Amino acid sequence: MATPMIELDRVAKHYGNHAAVADVSFTIEKGEFVALMGPSGCGKTTTLRMIAGLDQPTSGEIRLWGRRLNEDAPWERDAPLVWQSYALFPFLSVRRNVEFGLKQRGLPAAERRKKADEWMERLGIASFAERGVDQLSGGQRQRVALARALALEPEMLLLDEPLSALDPHLRVRMQSELVRLHRELGITFICVTHSHSEAFAMADRVVIMNEGRIQQIGAPRDIHRRAANRFVAEFVGGNNIFTGTARFEDDGSIALAGLVGTVHAPAPMEGGIVTGGAATLVVPADRIELAGTSTGAGNEVQARVVTVEFVGSTVTVFLETEGGCELRAQRSLHEMENTPLAVGQPVVARWSPQQGFFLPG
Amino acid sequence: MSEPLPTPDTGSAPLKGTSRRATEARFAVFWGAPPALWQAAFFLVPLGFLVAMTFWSVKNFRLTPDATLANWMFILNAGFFRNAYVYTFWLSALTAAIASVAAFPAAYTLAYKVSPAVRRFMIFMLVVPFFTSYPVRIYSTQIFFSPQGIINTVLVPLGLGPLHVLNTPTGTVVGYLVLTLPLVVLLQTFALANVPRILIEAAHNLGCGRLRTIWTVIIPSARIGLIVAGTFAFVLAFGDYVAPTYLGGSKPPTLSILIADQVKSGNNWPRASVVAVMMIVTLMVVMLVMIGFAYGRRKEKA
Repeated sequence: MATPMIELDRVAKHYGNHAAVADVSFTIEKGEFVALMGPSGCGKTTTLRMIAGLDQPTSGEIRLWGRRLNEDAPWERDAPLVWQSYALFPFLSVRRNVEFGLKQRGLPAAERRKKADEWMERLGIASFAERGVDQLSGGQRQRVALARALALEPEMLLLDEPLSALDPHLRVRMQSELVRLHRELGITFICVTHSHSEAFAMADRVVIMNEGRIQQIGAPRDIHRRAANRFVAEFVGGNNIFTGTARFEDDGSIALAGLVGTVHAPAPMEGGIVTGGAATLVVPADRIELAGTSTGAGNEVQARVVTVEFVGSTVTVFLETEGGCELRAQRSLHEMENTPLAVGQPVVARWSPQQGFFLPG
Repeated sequence: MSEPLPTPDTGSAPLKGTSRRATEARFAVFWGAPPALWQAAFFLVPLGFLVAMTFWSVKNFRLTPDATLANWMFILNAGFFRNAYVYTFWLSALTAAIASVAAFPAAYTLAYKVSPAVRRFMIFMLVVPFFTSYPVRIYSTQIFFSPQGIINTVLVPLGLGPLHVLNTPTGTVVGYLVLTLPLVVLLQTFALANVPRILIEAAHNLGCGRLRTIWTVIIPSARIGLIVAGTFAFVLAFGDYVAPTYLGGSKPPTLSILIADQVKSGNNWPRASVVAVMMIVTLMVVMLVMIGFAYGRRKEKA
C-alpha cells in the first residue's frame, strides 16, 4: 500500500494525569476533506494542534509522507491553520496579514504583492486590502484568515471550528464555499467541528472522537447508516435507539423485546448478540413512516403524537408508546401537508426490518 | 489641610423623582471627589504657586512677590542651565533605552518561559527593592563601586581594573538603572503577558521562527506597554536627585541638582522654580509625544 499523506500512529497527549488525547490512530490521503468531530473536550482540537506542531504529543508518532514529524517546529511545517477566532494580526492591514506567511518564506516584495492580490481577489476581499482588520465584519475576517493561510499554497489546510463564529446565514454560504475551495485546490483539508451537520455536509470522511479516543471513522453516509456504537448513534442525531432482550428467529433475523414492544431487524454481521442477551437497535428517524392504521407488515408500533417540530423542509414528529417509549420520525414538509397531525392523535409508526441495525456487542 | 471634606448629599435628597442617571452621576461624584480634591490640594495648588513664584524676586535674601521676567531671562540664557538640560535629557533618554533593552529578555522569560508559580515569585522579588528606601540602595551601590569595593577587589587582581564609576556620568546612569530597572521589568512583563498567545501561535504557524516572532508580532502587540515602561524610566530618571548626587558626584550637575543649588546658595526660590517648571513642561511634552507614539495609528512598514 502506498504511503498515506498524513498518519497518526497511537498518538496521545497528556496534561498531568488528564489525557486530552488518549490513543488516536488514523491516516489521511492527499486531497481528502476530513472532519474531526466530537463534543467539546473530546480531543479533536488538540489532535489538530499536534498536526500543526503547536502541541507536542506525549507519545506516538505523526508522519507526513512517511517521515516522522514530531520534532519539527511549527514554523518548519507546511500546515497553515485557520483559527476559530481568526487570530489576525491587529497591527497589520488586510494585505500585510495575507502577505505575512509569504514574507516569512523570504518571497520578494513584488511576488508577495502579486500572490496576495490573487488570493484576496479569489476570496472577495480585494476591495479592503488596505484596511485594518478591526474594521472588518466576522465573515470578512474569516476570508482574510483563509487568504492568509492559502496564500502559502500549502499541501494541507487546517481549520479549527471555521464556521462557529459566523451568523447562521453566513455559515451555510461559507460551508459551500469551503467545499468549492477544496474541490478547486485539490489539497487536503482537515477541519475540526462539533457540529455533525457541518461535518457531514463538507467532509469526505468523518473522524468521530469522544474522551480522547476515536469512536468511528467513515464516510458521512456510512456513519449515519451504520453507527459503530451507542455514542455515535446518539451524537450524530436523528436516530431512535431501542434497548431490550434479543431472540434469534428461524430466518436468522433478531427479534428485540423491550419498551417499544417486539420489533425485528437483521442480525449484525459482526455477531456478538445471543438469544436472551441485551441488545441495542438503531432506527434512523427518517426511515420511520407514519400511518393511520396497521397493515400488519414490517415493524409497527402504536403511539401518540407528543410534538411536531418544523425545521426548514423537515418535520420531526415526537411520539410516545403506551409503555412510555419515545420515538421520533422525520418526514418531509411536503408529505406532512397532506396528512396533518394533531397532538395526542394515535398513529402507527412503521418501518421495514431492513432499515434498523443492531449495534455490535 | 484646609480643604472641606466632600459631603455626601445623596442621603438627604429624596430619591423619588430623581432619574437613575442623576443617581449614578452623584455616585460617581461621591467616589471621585476625594482623589480629585487630593490632587487639587497637593498637586494643582502647589503647581500654581510654583508657576507664580517664577515671577517673584529675591531682595536681600528675602522672597518678595513681584511680576518680573528676570528669573526666566536669567535661567534660559544661562549656559549652566542649557548644559544641565541637555545633559539630564540625554542621560535620562539613555537610561530609558538601556533599561528597556536590558529588561526585555527578563520580561520575555517571565511572561512566556516560566510557570505561573515562578512568575508570581519573581514578580514579588521585583517588588522587594522598593521595600528599602531608594537613597539606601544608592549608598549600597556606592560601596559596591568604591575603589576598595567588591567589584574592584575582584577586578583589579585580574588586571581588569580599577573601574572608575563613582563621580562619573556612568555612575549616574547606574544609579538611574537601580531606580528604574525593576519597574521596567515589571511593566514589560505585564505588557508581554497581555499579548494574545494565539497571535504568537499564528505567527509560528505561518512560518515565523521564535526570534522573528519577537520582532514581527510580540513587540508590535505589546507596543503600548513597552513604550509606557520606557517613558516611566525616563520620567523617573529625569527628576532624580539622589543618583546624580551620590553616584555621579554632582559634576556635571543635572537639573534637579541645579534646583537644589539655587535654593541652597542664595535662597533663590524663584530661579529654582523656573528650572522646576521647565522640567515639568519637558516631562509633559515627552509624555504626550510618547502617548502619541503608543496609541497613534502606526504607519506600516513592509
